[in-house]
Amino acid sequence: MAHAEPARAEDPDADLHRRLAEAEETLRAIREGDVDALVVRGSEHDEVFALGGQDSYRTFMEAMDIGAAALDADGRLIYANAALCSLLGRSAKDLQRQGIAAALGERAARIVQHLIDEAELSRRSRQVALPRAGGISHVEVTVAPLSLGFGHGCAVTFTDVTERIEAAAAHESDRIGRAIMASSNEAVVVCDRDGLITHANAGVRHFQDGSVVGKSFDQAFPLSFALSSGLMGGGDLIGVALAGTAVRGIEATLTQDGRTQDLQLSAGPLRQSGDAIGGCIVTLADITERKATEKRQALLMGELTHRVRNTLTLVMSIANRTIAATRDTAEFRIAFGRRLEALAATHNLLAEGAWEGLTLEELINVELAPYVTLGSGRVRLQHLNVRVAPDMAVALGLIFHELVTNAVKHGALSNDTGRISITASPKGESVELVWQEDGGPTVLAPEKSGFGQTVIARGLGPGGTNVEFRPEGLVCRMYVPRGQVNQP
Amino acid sequence: MSEEQRTDPGEEPLKLTLYVAGQTPKSVAAIRNLQRLCEEHMPNRYEVEVVDLRQQPQLAREHNIVAIPTLVRSLPVPVQKIIGDLSDHEKVLIHLKVER
Repeated sequence: MAHAEPARAEDPDADLHRRLAEAEETLRAIREGDVDALVVRGSEHDEVFALGGQDSYRTFMEAMDIGAAALDADGRLIYANAALCSLLGRSAKDLQRQGIAAALGERAARIVQHLIDEAELSRRSRQVALPRAGGISHVEVTVAPLSLGFGHGCAVTFTDVTERIEAAAAHESDRIGRAIMASSNEAVVVCDRDGLITHANAGVRHFQDGSVVGKSFDQAFPLSFALSSGLMGGGDLIGVALAGTAVRGIEATLTQDGRTQDLQLSAGPLRQSGDAIGGCIVTLADITERKATEKRQALLMGELTHRVRNTLTLVMSIANRTIAATRDTAEFRIAFGRRLEALAATHNLLAEGAWEGLTLEELINVELAPYVTLGSGRVRLQHLNVRVAPDMAVALGLIFHELVTNAVKHGALSNDTGRISITASPKGESVELVWQEDGGPTVLAPEKSGFGQTVIARGLGPGGTNVEFRPEGLVCRMYVPRGQVNQP
Repeated sequence: MSEEQRTDPGEEPLKLTLYVAGQTPKSVAAIRNLQRLCEEHMPNRYEVEVVDLRQQPQLAREHNIVAIPTLVRSLPVPVQKIIGDLSDHEKVLIHLKVER
């Protein structure tokens, strides 16, 4: 390991011995791995060569794009490669002089120091955020124990995972966006800056069978807007959204293949990074059923108002008819009371919606009960033991009520001799119901159409009813689709 | 090349030259080991020069250096050479003739 080199003034033998000992010691040191570099004398100059592939190892470390450093047991930097210098924005000399902690910043340095403390026996990793120009670098720091020639230390690597994290975040937000679109009950489409559809969820198939992607919004959805909306077409809606304004609850109708649907639309800008508008999102909800319900409710409200107005007239009429048919006050009280109860029952049916499972006969009897004795010769019911669907029962109930009211006020039930015949019979795809009055006062067609007539004419939809004002008595024909009745 | 001198007057200092080759592991280890030896066993008695032969290979000739790392004690005479990373502190101290 060591040998003495005596003063120059020595005898040649001693010098030879000394040189020999030195050569032997050098060979021993090389053989036993005590050295890792040699000086080779050249004719012009000397060169230093590293042993044991250290040069290639160092070259490899320098070529890596992962930042790498070796620290001694006290945390002092022994070596840092070029990638780490670049990542931390310091030269190797600055890192040596200032230490790695100064370059990492307080928070990251604390985390790395914690990893070093933990990594005494095995490798430890953690992600840290390092500030950089224009943002943050996400770096995976790994610390592993390292055996050095002079003791123990650690190897620290810094892998920049910013791109991976940003890509994962972008992928995740894209996935969430798609999941939201997919899970929406409403139809959702995304348009680009030119108003062309770039994405559409499954809900769109409710409105369009084929793919709408690549079409303009106008082309995919030929919409008509109410004048009050200020929009001429779907393109205007897209224009408003692309200009940065969100609009919601806009109603429109979509007519295609002879079918009309009521839609409610919302649209808003799609903001990308930097708040730039890259397109817009439009949601379309089918509110056809809701609109139909609203119309039905409006009709029922109108009907109730109409009934309230008629009630006093009807009560007066019932009173007059009952007085004419009874002998004394006691008999009048009973008969009048029963008829008023029957009148109240029809109101309850309408108000409570207890129409389910009724037969045509039950429906008609409920309406007639206040005015005539059921089973009397004045009313003839034929083939009416037919159950009807609840919706149809409501519609027919209203129509029967109007027909009975009309008969009591002006027709076959307004005198003592009138008769009513009600029959049902199959006719094509429908069941035809015929309400026919005879024996009442001579019928004159009304000069103007009241609410009652509107209910009769429209209650079953277009072509569902037909009223004929014969002088000898009114005839009303009603056509109920077979699917709405259930004959026993 | 770097020099460090910490000597007290009146006491013969150790004049040491450590020859290294850049940052090879044994060079780094030798520097660290020598630092510790000097601080712990010969405070204020040494004068150390570290020569990086990668930077200045021509300086190898002065002490006829072949293997790296090598520590040369040029004072007190006779000159002593110690080859290796100086991790065996006891042996190094014996060869440097430092009383512990």
